[in-house]
Amino acid sequence: MNWLRIFILPLIAIPMLAQSSGAQKSVPRMPDGKPDFSGIFEWPKSPNGEHGKGSATIFDRKNFAPLKPGGEAFLEPRTGDMRHDEPRDFCMPAGFPGGMLSANAVRLVQNRNFLVIAHEFQNNTRLIPLDGRPHREGLEPMFYGDPVGHWEGDTLVIDTTQFKRWALDDYFYTNPKEFRMHSDALHTTERMKWKDAATISYQLTIDDPKIFSAAWSQDFEMKARPDWEKMGIFEYVCEENNRCPGGKCEKH
Amino acid sequence: MKVSNRSLFCLLINGIGLLGLAIPAVAHHSFVAEFDESKPVKVTGTVTKVEWQNPHVWFYVDVKDETTGKVANWGFSGGAPGQLMRRGVTRDVIKPGMVIKVEGYRARDGSNNSSGGKVTFQDGRMVFTASAEDRIPGEKDKK
Repeated sequence: MNWLRIFILPLIAIPMLAQSSGAQKSVPRMPDGKPDFSGIFEWPKSPNGEHGKGSATIFDRKNFAPLKPGGEAFLEPRTGDMRHDEPRDFCMPAGFPGGMLSANAVRLVQNRNFLVIAHEFQNNTRLIPLDGRPHREGLEPMFYGDPVGHWEGDTLVIDTTQFKRWALDDYFYTNPKEFRMHSDALHTTERMKWKDAATISYQLTIDDPKIFSAAWSQDFEMKARPDWEKMGIFEYVCEENNRCPGGKCEKH
Repeated sequence: MKVSNRSLFCLLINGIGLLGLAIPAVAHHSFVAEFDESKPVKVTGTVTKVEWQNPHVWFYVDVKDETTGKVANWGFSGGAPGQLMRRGVTRDVIKPGMVIKVEGYRARDGSNNSSGGKVTFQDGRMVFTASAEDRIPGEKDKK
C-alpha cells in the first residue's frame, strides 16, 4: 500500500493544508464549506465612524453620497409630534437598518437555507433565505423589507428591498432637531464576512435614489460574545409596560 | 403633586459616597420622547415597588418633601431588563424597602415620573440603571 501513501494521500492532504494555512483557517464553517456565522454577537459597531450621544450605532454623515435636490427633507423632517418623531416610543418597530444598529445583543443562527438574525431589541427576527430564491413580488412596503441572501466566495451578501418610509438610524439622540428617514425607494446591501475567528466584518450599503445621488456604504464590525451564550437573548415585549408613551405617563 | 426644581433638590436626604462602575452603554429608546433634559431630578427615598418588565424597568420610590413633609411616590424608568442583566444589574439589585438616591430627568408631562439613570445605595455603591441616552445630571454624554 506504499503507492497509496506516496501518491494518493498527498493529493488529499495538500489542498487541505492550503486551506487551513489561509487567513480564514480558523473561522467556523458549515458542512458544505460556507462560513458559519452562528453565534451571539454585539450589535454592529463602527470603530472609526461618528459616535453620537446615544449608544446605538449611527451612520457617519461623511459617508453619505451627495443629496439629491429635496433629499434633505427626508433626513430632517422632525415635527415635534412624537408619533412621527420617535414612533418606537409607542412600541412601533425600529425597522431596518435602524433596528440592526440598536445597542442590544444579536443572535445569528444559520443552516444551509437560511440565516436567522435575531436581534434582542424589540424581539426582531429577520429570516434571510440562502437558497437562491428571488425577492417576493406584490408585497406591501415593510419596516424590515424583503431580504434574500447569496454567497460571493466567503462573503454573504444580503439584498433587501420593499421598504416603507421609516427611520434610518438613531441620529436624533445626537441632534434632537434631526430625524433621519429613508424613503420607500430604499435598497440595502449587507456584506458579511469573518474578519477573524471572533469578528464579523459587516458592510451596509444604502441605495436610496429618492434621497441620495448614489449608493454609499459604511463598514461595521460585529464582535462575537461567547460569554453571553449562557445568558442568551432576552425577551423584549415592548407593550408589556410602556408607561410613558410620547411623554404622557400612566398614573401609578 | 407638583414639586418645584428647588424643592426637588431639598429632597436630598443622605450624603452618599460614589463607587464608580464601568458600565457599557445600552439603548434606551425613549429618553428624547419621554423626559426633559432641562429638568434634572435628584431625590432620595424608600423603594416601594420594582417592575422588572420591558420595555423598561420601573422602580418606585416614596420621597419626603423636606419643606412640606408630604410624601410623594415617584416612578423611575431604567433600561430594558435584558440590557441591565447583561451588565450585571439583576432584578434583586433594587428591592422594596431599600433607601436609594436616584438621579435622572423629569417626565415631560410634569408628573412624578423620571428617568432613573443612576442609583446610589446607602453603602455608597452606585449602579447605572439606564443608559447613555438617559442623561445623568452633571455628567455629559456618558458612553
